[in-house]
Amino acid sequence: MQELKIADQTYASRLLIGTAGYPNFHIMTESIAASGAEIATVSMRRVKFTGTSGENLFALLRERDMTILPNTAGCFTAKDAILTANLAREALETSLIKLEVIGDEETLFPDVEQLLNAAETLVKDGFTVLPYCNDDPITCKKLEDLGCAAVMPLGAPIGSGMGIRNPYNIQIIRDLVQVPLIVDAGVGTASDAAIAMELGCDGVLLNTAVAKAHRPVLMAEAMKKAVEAGRAAFLAGRIPRKLYATASSPQTGMIE
Amino acid sequence: MKIHVNGEEKTVDPNLNICDLLIVLELNPKQAGIAVAVNREVVPKTAWQATELRENSDVEIIRAVQGG
Repeated sequence: MQELKIADQTYASRLLIGTAGYPNFHIMTESIAASGAEIATVSMRRVKFTGTSGENLFALLRERDMTILPNTAGCFTAKDAILTANLAREALETSLIKLEVIGDEETLFPDVEQLLNAAETLVKDGFTVLPYCNDDPITCKKLEDLGCAAVMPLGAPIGSGMGIRNPYNIQIIRDLVQVPLIVDAGVGTASDAAIAMELGCDGVLLNTAVAKAHRPVLMAEAMKKAVEAGRAAFLAGRIPRKLYATASSPQTGMIE
Repeated sequence: MKIHVNGEEKTVDPNLNICDLLIVLELNPKQAGIAVAVNREVVPKTAWQATELRENSDVEIIRAVQGG
């Protein structure tokens, strides 16, 4: 099976995992390991001056040879997202950026106008831009045309666990864009990840589904298998859906 | 002089550079994984020593935290 290729890098795993919301740091590291993911997302936040600096996430992910994918989560304007991306590039020595420009606090849906503006600037500044976007084929096409290294439409709102709400749009996006298509957000359980892959997505980015599962490490393992199974099923080519039965056993030579 | 660091007002020596500020804040300037912006412009690590802060400088010091 072909590897996932983003910009010039190839990855054996098609699962990208978030690092937020786990019961503790230990379960996070175990879950990341069980998921087989090679790319992990982080956020950029102010250093606290409260004495202890806490666990060093950057050092930990680097030790494990993970590709670190910083996000611009929490940014509501292109201006803030661009500054955050520049800080991330400086701090983490990577030009990769998961570009999020949020339009609304309750739904966390992207602000398309700001997202496109930020993507344009960041691509020009040499970033490898992976934008979190709506499951809108036209937006995805525009992001590709701007030079984004992938498009990452949401399956459903962030953290909702609602799965792939509009598989038909994902299918159209698959037909429209050449860059890697990664479903980002909405996956609730293993079958959701498998569906995304069966639709022809190149990868799945998820976080809450694993971090908030009753047993995160086991769910991470399930997601790994689901992404692999979904990819294999996509490549194998599913049979067409039919309303009526077609017998699979021979129709001749029956006893009388 | 007064400056703002991560939204908090701090009183520091005049013309303090960024390396000195980090040390005052008990952060190791050699530590990997942190970045600094002054007045919303990123200052590369290589320029920390040479970049002096001014009255009312607005400093952001950030690092990676858990995120999705």
